[in-house]
Amino acid sequence: MSRIDEITRYIVAEFAPDIRADELDADYDLLDNGVVDSLGLLRLIGWLGERYDLPVDDIDLAPEQFRSVRAVDAFVESALVKGPAL
Amino acid sequence: MIKWTDEQRTLRAAAAELGAVVGKDHLERDATGTFSEQGWALVRESGLLGLPFGAEYGGLDADLLTTMYVLEGLGESCRDGGFPFSVTTHVVSTGVPLQRFGSDELKQRYLPGVCSGSAIGAHAISEPDAGSDMMAMRTTAVLDGDDYVLSGSKSFVSNGPIADTFMVYARTGKSGAPDAITTFLVERDSPGLHVGQPMGKMGLKTSPLSELFLDGVRVPTSRVVGKVGAGFLVLDHVMKWEILLSFVVNLGEMEHRLAECVRHARSRKQFGRPIGSYQSVSNKLVDMRIGVETSRKWLYDTAEKLVARKAVTTDIAITKLVVSEANVASALAAVQVFGGYGYMTEYGVEKDVRNAVAGTIYSGTTEIQRQRVAAMMGLG
Ligand SMILES: Cc1cc2nc3c(=O)[nH]c(=O)nc-3n(C[C@H](O)[C@H](O)[C@H](O)COP(=O)(O)OP(=O)(O)OC[C@H]3O[C@@H](n4cnc5c(N)ncnc54)[C@H](O)[C@@H]3O)c2cc1C
Repeated sequence: MSRIDEITRYIVAEFAPDIRADELDADYDLLDNGVVDSLGLLRLIGWLGERYDLPVDDIDLAPEQFRSVRAVDAFVESALVKGPAL
Repeated sequence: MIKWTDEQRTLRAAAAELGAVVGKDHLERDATGTFSEQGWALVRESGLLGLPFGAEYGGLDADLLTTMYVLEGLGESCRDGGFPFSVTTHVVSTGVPLQRFGSDELKQRYLPGVCSGSAIGAHAISEPDAGSDMMAMRTTAVLDGDDYVLSGSKSFVSNGPIADTFMVYARTGKSGAPDAITTFLVERDSPGLHVGQPMGKMGLKTSPLSELFLDGVRVPTSRVVGKVGAGFLVLDHVMKWEILLSFVVNLGEMEHRLAECVRHARSRKQFGRPIGSYQSVSNKLVDMRIGVETSRKWLYDTAEKLVARKAVTTDIAITKLVVSEANVASALAAVQVFGGYGYMTEYGVEKDVRNAVAGTIYSGTTEIQRQRVAAMMGLG
């Protein structure tokens, strides 16, 4: 499974259980449309940190990076370039 | 178990010495609700306000765990519970977000004042209609040229009456959305900023608190802390530090209280025997001890996890809940162990109950911490 598929599955399972993973467009605005709220954002960041071994507290976090599945994937990519968690 | 170095122990001893001096007239100042100006002068001299901040800004470059250990010492020795609360509020409200999210320009301009204590810090989040539900805040920040214009009011601002710089959280986006809030550094003398009168409160009386009113306050875009829309994440970072630093002070207070209660239970005789020999009294002391040990584990384990850059949202919520509730239980038990003396103001025991209750409300109430843990478990 590609990373973007994995992220989509997680978001659907945790925040939008009424839809199927293939129904969530990678560019759908998760924040404006209320799929991910503020606590949801913390959960998502926590999951990404554990799943991809990211130093989540060491990254200049901005909600923009979590606006859509594609944005989240790009965030993981750039965080991985910076190196895994200590 | 963490092994502290001689250097860390020396720093803690210095904080303890300072705390003992500041706490000397605590009963009088609690009665009048007076902040210790002399204490602030001493803490400024000691350098403790700059503990976790970079040496280039006048800080001591201490890591999180060292900072906590030193503050635990302050809590253990300082009988004026409001004073360390003002100290930790100053450090976490302005210094912590500046260090983590501030631009170089902001750091250079404001962090030296945080480290030296020449500019007292405060943060303004809660509003009359948005307390636990901070995302519902109504204070707005509207871009106008190179400035944001802030309008609204904030209900409870610790250090408000004495603060020079305020971190104000205001809405820049769609209400309720996670990217709706932005953090602004606002100077006290900004036109349109009004600080309310000190508010009377149940406890922590020596730590002044007020409302804050923003009537079209212009704040340059250069004073946005973190990215526009990242206020919720800035606050999340600040809350982690606030919980670890202000509740490790409570741990120190609980340690002191336990020692005093044990001493009293061993020396106070009723029915010809020390009251500590009665199991219903010793059980209270054992429960206090369990509260201390559990709090210590949660505080330092969570801090170690945070330093290792792990996600600690659940751990922080549990830590806050465990320590604040243990502190209330310990303060109430102390009143009972001291009996009538515990209830009388002049012995300084009852004051701790009033102070401890605040800890179950600020930094997110006990109920909200439970909600957070539940949400992290995928519930609700
Ligand atoms: C000593 C002290 C210092 C403070 N300092 C500051 C400061 O420096 N800056 C600042 O911005 N704020 C500060 N505060 C404010 C504090 O953060 C708020 O009081 C707190 O977040 C609760 O908000 P509220 O008072 O509006 O209560 P509400 O949010 O109205 O809550 C009332 C009750 O309802 C419960 N409740 C609310 N929502 C839920 C829910 N979803 N589930 C279950 N229970 C719920 C709460 O737990 C509480 O028991 C301070 C408060 C105190 C007591």
